[in-house]
This record gives sequence, structure tokens and C-alpha cells, in this order.
Amino acid sequence: MKGNMKLGLVLAMFAAVGCASLAVVYSITESAIAAQSQKALNASLQEIFPDAVSFEDITATLSSNVQGVKFEQAFLVKSAQASLGVAVKATGSSYGGPAKLLVGVALNRSIAGVRVLELNDTAGLGMNAKNAAYYVKKAEKITFPGQFGGKFLTDPFEVKKDVVAITASTITSRSLTVIIKAAADAAATWLETSTTTAATPAEQAASASGAAGTTGGK
Amino acid sequence: MKSLWKVFKQGIIFENPLLMLMIGLCSALAVTSNVSNGIGMGLAMTFVLLFSEIFISLFRKLIPNSVRMPIFLIIIGAFTTIVDLVMKAYFPELSKSMGVFIPLIVVNCIIMGRVEAFAYKQKVLPAIFDSFGMGLGYTWVLIGIAAFRELLGNGTFAGMQVMPATYQPILFFILPPGGFLVFGLFIAFNIWLKGRMQKSAAAKENA
Amino acid sequence: MDLIKILLITILVNNIILMRFIALCSYIGMTNDVGQSIGMGFAVTFVTVMATAATWPLYHFVLAPLHLEFLQILVFILVIASLVQLVEFYLKKNIPGLYAAMGIYLPLITTNCAILAVTFENISNNYTFIQSIVYAVGVSLGYLLAMILLAGVRSRMRTSPVPKFLQGTPILFIATSLIGMAFMGFSGLIK
Repeated sequence: MKGNMKLGLVLAMFAAVGCASLAVVYSITESAIAAQSQKALNASLQEIFPDAVSFEDITATLSSNVQGVKFEQAFLVKSAQASLGVAVKATGSSYGGPAKLLVGVALNRSIAGVRVLELNDTAGLGMNAKNAAYYVKKAEKITFPGQFGGKFLTDPFEVKKDVVAITASTITSRSLTVIIKAAADAAATWLETSTTTAATPAEQAASASGAAGTTGGK
Repeated sequence: MKSLWKVFKQGIIFENPLLMLMIGLCSALAVTSNVSNGIGMGLAMTFVLLFSEIFISLFRKLIPNSVRMPIFLIIIGAFTTIVDLVMKAYFPELSKSMGVFIPLIVVNCIIMGRVEAFAYKQKVLPAIFDSFGMGLGYTWVLIGIAAFRELLGNGTFAGMQVMPATYQPILFFILPPGGFLVFGLFIAFNIWLKGRMQKSAAAKENA
Repeated sequence: MDLIKILLITILVNNIILMRFIALCSYIGMTNDVGQSIGMGFAVTFVTVMATAATWPLYHFVLAPLHLEFLQILVFILVIASLVQLVEFYLKKNIPGLYAAMGIYLPLITTNCAILAVTFENISNNYTFIQSIVYAVGVSLGYLLAMILLAGVRSRMRTSPVPKFLQGTPILFIATSLIGMAFMGFSGLIK
């Protein structure tokens, strides 16, 4: 058994040295990795809410009840004077792997904007969801995530009927729509139940009448 | 010195890991839909190969034969993780677009194969030359295939528009079947090239 | 049904070899005849499911809570390698018949890209444990299917007039390209 003990010891030593060196490298790169994703997130947040000044983290109070969709982070977006809406960073699975989206919901329960943060689908097909030069509505130059801007949550969200799908990428289009709807619904529910942004009676009436509301979206 | 140069040359055409030895294919085809990914993967793989060969050759006397496989995996896995972390920190877009293929470098048959067949039995200097030769052989094929696929399938080269605006990209080349086709033709080309080189070497000897 | 969808996508729509280029080394090396392909396919299925059963809890209950995610590559590959070793020992000792049939493939499986890819994707896709197992089974069946198809095509090609400059591996890849094109037709299967 002594021979085996020695082998085991050598193995354990290599493993220990390996793990230790990785821990060192990780501690060096950890902050850079976090900074990178924060940079991308901030850029997208600013795009969806141009007047935004601060983002209050409300991740703990938002949870997904849609299977397969997880919320990584959620923010209450505020301008200098008031709240603007809620932004949710949601992940779910798409055709070729996980997808990460940023969904912004305005106070009037319409979608302020959608940004695709990460996507791993087929280049030339599903990946066009992330392509800023690919338009699902060519005349108006609207991209796949762009078509959700201004859409009310009470509107139907069926792909190929109300949502324009990416050509030959129905699975990607459906997967992303599911994630967007789940995030937007959760954000809207949060807005309704939170006391700091409870809708005024005028806003409530407007959102209750849904698509016919007079409040315009973007 | 001459033998070191020979070691280096082997990996580029005659014993090209992808086209002749048929190893390390997994990561190769998937990342060649555009040139940036191809270069990134080539560099990442060469880095892991180089340092794995160096360390395993350095410690070859300390690694018992019966547990050499797990120890190889630890060393290769450690360097793969280092590449993964560094890419996530400083090249996040590239890291995301290569996805699961960066962790898959640890099971890249090229690294396992060279480490077992070469680095474990040779001194450090030949191991370094071998890894550079194999790495270069791997990278030039990746860039070649990627250039082909990206130019024809997207009209761009490393993201820069090259084909005229009126060029209608042939999507087929970016899709997986296109990748297989281009790869098959590349192998045929390399076999022809090798035959030509061998013929001219034989002709020179006879002359 | 969500699980049926995972199965359909992994076997047909997004086949791991034909559409994702993973596990190509064994694809070229182990399709010399249909029997070899089936043996390899089943060995891969067995190891992949067991690897999933081992790595999923390991990540979710040990690595993640302790913030040791950066050790994922090392831990997963060592778990897979050990599993394969254990399976080999067990088979050799207790089921020699099965070992004779499957044993030669086992050492090759440790470096099979598909297994490590599946264990990683179970985590990155946020799958539950059941979904992970189904995903593992689906990917392995897709692997098996592609292997059998190529083995069949290869045996036909041995008696076909292949142009000289395409003989050997080039024609295999072109054949794979054609099979892959046929599989792309499955993408309309999922509503």
C-alpha cells in the first residue's frame, strides 16, 4: 500500500499547486472580469433610459416564476427628479446556449427597450438578434429587440403574429420572446406592488385600457 | 540546432495536427466562422500547449508513470483555466463568442497527444519547439479556413468589409455543413501539397 | 413538454456532431464500421449521464456556494477521468463480457469533447437536475445517430469511385457536410 500512498501524495501535491496557482490568477483577474460586465451593463442601461442618473439595486425583491428564466440583476432606474422604470437582466436558454437580455419597463407598463447582452446562436441566423444592422422590419429599420420598444405588457406576444421573427430562426425568436415577457411581467408586477412608484390614478386608468392608452411609448 | 528546426517544421505541413494527424478537430471547425475567433483560438491553444509542454517536460522525472494522465489533466486544466480567466477579463467579446470551446481546450487531443508522445519524454527545449510548430500548424489552418468561410459567407475579413457592397454573401459557408465542406477541401489541398513537396525532395536527391 | 423539446433539439435539430462540430476526433476515428460506432455511442451515453449526475450536484452544492467557480474546468475533467477509470475497473472485475465489448473505448472517452461540453452546458443553461439528465441522454443519442450514419456511408464509399484527390479523409468531411445539410431540414420541427 505504501506505493499507492506515495502516488496519491504526488497527485494531491500537483492538484494543490494547480488549485493554488489558479486561485492567485483568479484573484488578479476577478476585478477586471466584474468591471467588464459592469461596463457592458451600464452602456446598455443608458441606451434604454437616456435620462437615467442612478440605478438602485432591487435584485432581491424580484424573482422569476417562469421555468428556465432567471433574473441576474434588477434595477430601479431614476432620473434626477423621479423614477423612470425598472430594468431587469434576465438569462434563459436559447437555440445554441444561454441568452442574456436587458429588459427595461417604463412606469406606464410598456417596454422601454430590450438589449441582447449575450447570445450563442447560429451566426447569420439566430445571432442576428444581436446584430445592429439586421432589421426584421426593413422599411422602418427596426431590429428584432427594437420591435419591443413601446409595446404594452397587456398586448399579445405571439411570435410570427404579433412579434416579427428572425428569418429561419423561429426557435431563437421564441426563446428570446419568452425571456423578454418574463422579465417585463416581473418588472411590471414590481412596479405595481412597490409603494415608491405606485401609479397615480391617471396612470392606472391609462394602463388598464391597454393598447388604447393615450400615454405614448418609445 | 538543425534537429530543433526539424522538430518545429514537422507540425506545419507534414504532421499538421488538424489536416494530417486528424486531432484537435473539435475546437477547430466551430471557431472558424470568422477570422477573429480563429486567431483567438489559435493563440489560446498555442499558449496552453506551450506551457503544458514546458511544465510537463520540466517535471517529467517527478511524474510517476501510473498516475501521469491525471497529472497531465491537472496541468493542462490549470493553464486552460488561466486562459479562460484572462480572456474573460481582457477580451470579453471574444470570450463570449467562443463560448464553451475555451474550456474544451483541456480535452483538445493535440495537447494530450503531444504531451504524452513528446513532452513527457523530451527535454524542455525540443518541447518548446514542438509546441510552437504544432501551434503554428494549427493556427494557420484555422486562419485559412476562417478566411475562406468569412469572406465568402459574410463578405468580411476579421469584421472589416472586404467584398464589394453588391456581393450577396453565401450563408452556406458560415453554417456547419459549409464548414465541413471547406475543411474537407483543405485536407485534400494539404495532401496534394505534401505529395508535391515529397516529389520535389526525391527529385532533388536523384538529380 | 419541455423535456421532449430538449430531446428533439439535441438529437435532430442541433445535433452535437453535425451542427456543433463537437466530438469530431472520435467521429472520424471510430466510424470504421457500424458495430464500432454503436459501441462507442453507448459508452459515451453511459459516461455522459453518469458525469452529469456527478458534476451537476458538485457545482451547485459545492463550487458555487463556496465561490470556487474558477475551479470548474479542473474539477469537471478530473471527475470525468476518475469516473471512466472507475467504470473500467468495475467492468473488468465484475462484468468481463461487457468489458470485452466496451472496454477499449473507455480510455478514449476521457478526452471526448462531447462529455465535457455537456457537463458545462448543464450549468450555463441553468438546467434543473432532471433537465440535465435528459440533455445528456439527448446529446448522446444524437452523437450515436451521427456516428451510425457516417459508418454506414463509409462502408458504402469503400466500393465507390472516389476521385483521387478526395480519397481518405476529405471525402468523409464532404459526406458529413451533405448529411448535415439534410439535418438542417429538421429545424422546422420545433414550433
